[in-house]
Amino acid sequence: MTMRVLRKGSLKTAAMFGAGMIALAASGGAGMAAVSCGANTGQAATGAPVKVGGIFGNAAPGDFSASTTAARAYFDCVNANGGLNGRPIQYLTENDQWNPELAAQAASKLLKDEKVVAMVGNGSFVEMAVNAPTYKAEGVMTMASACAVSECFESPNIVSTNQGPLPSTVGAAQYMVEEKGSKNVSCIGLAIPDVGPWSCGAMEGYMASKGLAGSSVLLNPASPDVNSALLEAVGSGADTILVNLPAGLAIAFLKAAEEQGMGDSYQWASSTPLYDRTVPEALGAYWDGKMYVNAEMTPWDKGGPDAVNWLAVMDAYAPKEAARDSFSQSGYLSAKIFVDAMLALDPATLDDRAAVTAAITAIKGVTSDLMCGPYYVGEADRHMPNHAGTMVVVKGGGFETVRDCYEYDSPYFAPIFEQEKALGLR
Amino acid sequence: MRMSGVIGVILLAVAVVLLPVLAGGQWVRIFTSTACFALAAMGAAFIYARLGMVSLAQVALMGVGGWVFLRLNHATALPFEANLLAAGLVTSVLGMLLALPALRMRGLYLALMTLMVAGALEIVFTARQFPNGGTGFWGVATSFSATVRRPLLGQSDPAYLRYSLLVMGAGFLLIEAHRRAAPGRAWALIRRSEAAAIASGVNVTLYKTWAFGLSGLLAGLGGGLLAGSLGLLDAATFRASESVLLFALVVVGGARFWFGAVATAVLYRVAPALLNNWGVDADLALILFGAALLHAVITAPDGIAGQILGFVGALRGRMPGVRP
Repeated sequence: MTMRVLRKGSLKTAAMFGAGMIALAASGGAGMAAVSCGANTGQAATGAPVKVGGIFGNAAPGDFSASTTAARAYFDCVNANGGLNGRPIQYLTENDQWNPELAAQAASKLLKDEKVVAMVGNGSFVEMAVNAPTYKAEGVMTMASACAVSECFESPNIVSTNQGPLPSTVGAAQYMVEEKGSKNVSCIGLAIPDVGPWSCGAMEGYMASKGLAGSSVLLNPASPDVNSALLEAVGSGADTILVNLPAGLAIAFLKAAEEQGMGDSYQWASSTPLYDRTVPEALGAYWDGKMYVNAEMTPWDKGGPDAVNWLAVMDAYAPKEAARDSFSQSGYLSAKIFVDAMLALDPATLDDRAAVTAAITAIKGVTSDLMCGPYYVGEADRHMPNHAGTMVVVKGGGFETVRDCYEYDSPYFAPIFEQEKALGLR
Repeated sequence: MRMSGVIGVILLAVAVVLLPVLAGGQWVRIFTSTACFALAAMGAAFIYARLGMVSLAQVALMGVGGWVFLRLNHATALPFEANLLAAGLVTSVLGMLLALPALRMRGLYLALMTLMVAGALEIVFTARQFPNGGTGFWGVATSFSATVRRPLLGQSDPAYLRYSLLVMGAGFLLIEAHRRAAPGRAWALIRRSEAAAIASGVNVTLYKTWAFGLSGLLAGLGGGLLAGSLGLLDAATFRASESVLLFALVVVGGARFWFGAVATAVLYRVAPALLNNWGVDADLALILFGAALLHAVITAPDGIAGQILGFVGALRGRMPGVRP
C-alpha cells in the first residue's frame, strides 16, 4: 500500500466520523489531515518543561525506536497545542543498544539525574528486564509501547500498550489452527530467555492444549543464521512456520525460504513485527496471499479517530522515513493516554512523580480504535491490557484483514481476566 | 614504583570517598562497570607484562565469574561475598586449566588457544544464557528474573560503586603483593629465559599455572561484581571479540603499571559512554581505539601509563633539587 493511497483512504474513513471527532482540513492543498493533540489550543506551550523519559533499543538485531519516535511526534504536537496546562513536555530518550549495561545507565540517567516523572513509549528487548526493579524502587510508572520481554507484562511498574510476542504469537498460531487447519507449528524466535523461549514456549503450550504439536527454533541474536534456522524448522516436521522475529530479521528469514522455494510447501504466519507498511514491498510478490500476520494494534486503514490522527501526527511531526507500524501506533497511543491523564491531573502536582504515578495507575477503561479492548493500568503485579488482536494477510502490496478483533485462547491470560473482572471491565 | 603504589592507594581512597558522591546516577553505573573491567584488565595486563603471555579470553572468563555468581545467588541463600569469592575461585581454576596448554605453547599459538576458549565460551553463553532464577543446572527461567542480592555495604548504586572500587583495590594489591614476593621473582626469571629459570630451580609449571589462576581470579571477581550491579547478564557482553578488544586496550593502557589497567578500563567503558552522552555513535570509539593501538605499538610500548610516568619523570627532572 503506498503512502498516497493510505492517506486518501484514511481521510475518507475519518470523514465518516464527523468533524466533531476529528477535524479535517486541507492545508495548502497538501491534503494533510489536521491534527488533534492534548488540549488542542493551537498555542505553543511556553512554561517550565515537564520531564518525561523513554528508552528504546536500536542496534543489531533490530530497531525498536518506532514507539519512542511516535511518542515524540505526539508530544511535539501537544507542545504546539497548549502542552500540559501551558507547560511543554520535555521528552528525553536514550538508546540501550540491546546492551544491559547501557540500559541500566539510561534508566539511572533519566530517573536519578533528570528526575523524569514518568517513562512513556519504551521499546526494547533488554531494557525492561534490567530496569523493572529500578522502576519499582524509584516509584515511577513506565507506559511502554514496544515491549518484547516477560518483565513488561509481569511487573508492577510497567504497563505496555502493545501485546508483546507471547499474545501475538499465540494469536497467530490460534488463527492458523482454527482457520488454516495447522497441526504442527514451528516458532522461530530469538534465543533470549524472556523473549523467544517465553513466547514460543507459550505457543507450544497452546498447541499442546489443543492436542497438536508445536516446537521452537531459537536464533542467536548476535549472529543469527537464518538458513540453519530454516532447516531446523523444516526438520521439525511442521506444516506451519511462525516467524516471531524483529522485522528485518524476519524478512531475511523469509527471503531464505523464498530462495529454497518453500512458500507453497508450508503455511506461513508471523507475530506483529511484520505489520509495517513497508514490509509487503520488501517481501515482494512471492509472499502475496501467503503470509499471515497478527497485528497487535488494529489495522491502520480500519479508520477511527485515533488511527487517522496517528497518521496525521506522524506526517506532521515525525521524520518522513519513520516507521508506521504496530509499535508506532502503540507509541502514539501510550503518549496520548498519558497526556490525557496528565491534563486531568492537578497542574500543581505535575512535577511530583508520586502523583503522576498515582494518576497513571488510576487509568481505567480508556477505549481507542487502535486497540481491540479497553486500556487500563490498576494496582497489580502484572499488566497486560492489550490481549486481543487482528489477523491480516499480505495482499496486493498491502495488508488485508482476515479476522477482525479476536481474543486469544491461552491459560496464560487467566490472571489478567481475573484482574479485569475486579476492575469491572469484563 | 613504590611511590606509584602509595599514590595509587591515596587515589583509590579519594575515589572511594568522592566518586559515589560527585557522580550522578548514570555515571555511578558507568564507573561501577569500569571498576569491574579494570579488575579483568589487571589480570590480562599482569600475565602479559610479567610472563609475556597473551590471554585473549579475559572478558569471557568474566562471563564465567558472572555465571557462577548468578547461579549461586539464585540457588543458595549465601551472602554476596561468598558468591563473589566462589565466582573468583571457580574462574581461577578455569584459568589454571587454561594454563596447561600455556606450559607448552608460547606467543601466537597461546594467544590463539585462549581466543578459541573465548569463542567456545561465547557459544555456551549464547546457547545457554545466564541464570536468572530458573530451575535445573542452567537456571534459566523464561519468565520474570529473580532478584540478585547486593552486599550489606553496597545496597544503593553509589554504595555499590564504593564497594566495587574497594574490591578492585584489593585485587590490585594482591597482584602487587605477588610481584614483590617469590612469585614475582620467579615470573621475572621465566620471562627472561625459561631454561635459565629451570636451571635455577624455579618450578615453571607451578608459577605459570599460578599466574593464570590469579588472572582468572581477577576476571571472575570482575564478572561477579558486574552481575551484582546489573542483576542479570547478557551473552553479548562477553563475546570473544570483547576479549580481543580488552587485550588491545591493555596494550594501549600500558600493561606494566597498575594505572595502565585503570586507563584500559576507562577507555573500554568511559570513552564510549562519553561519546554516547555527546550524541556521537559510540562505535566511533572502536576507530579511536584502533588509532590508539597503532600509536602505542609504534611510539609508546608502555602505553598511556608509560607516557604518564615519562611525563612525571620529566617534570621531576626539571624541578631543582630533584634528581631525575
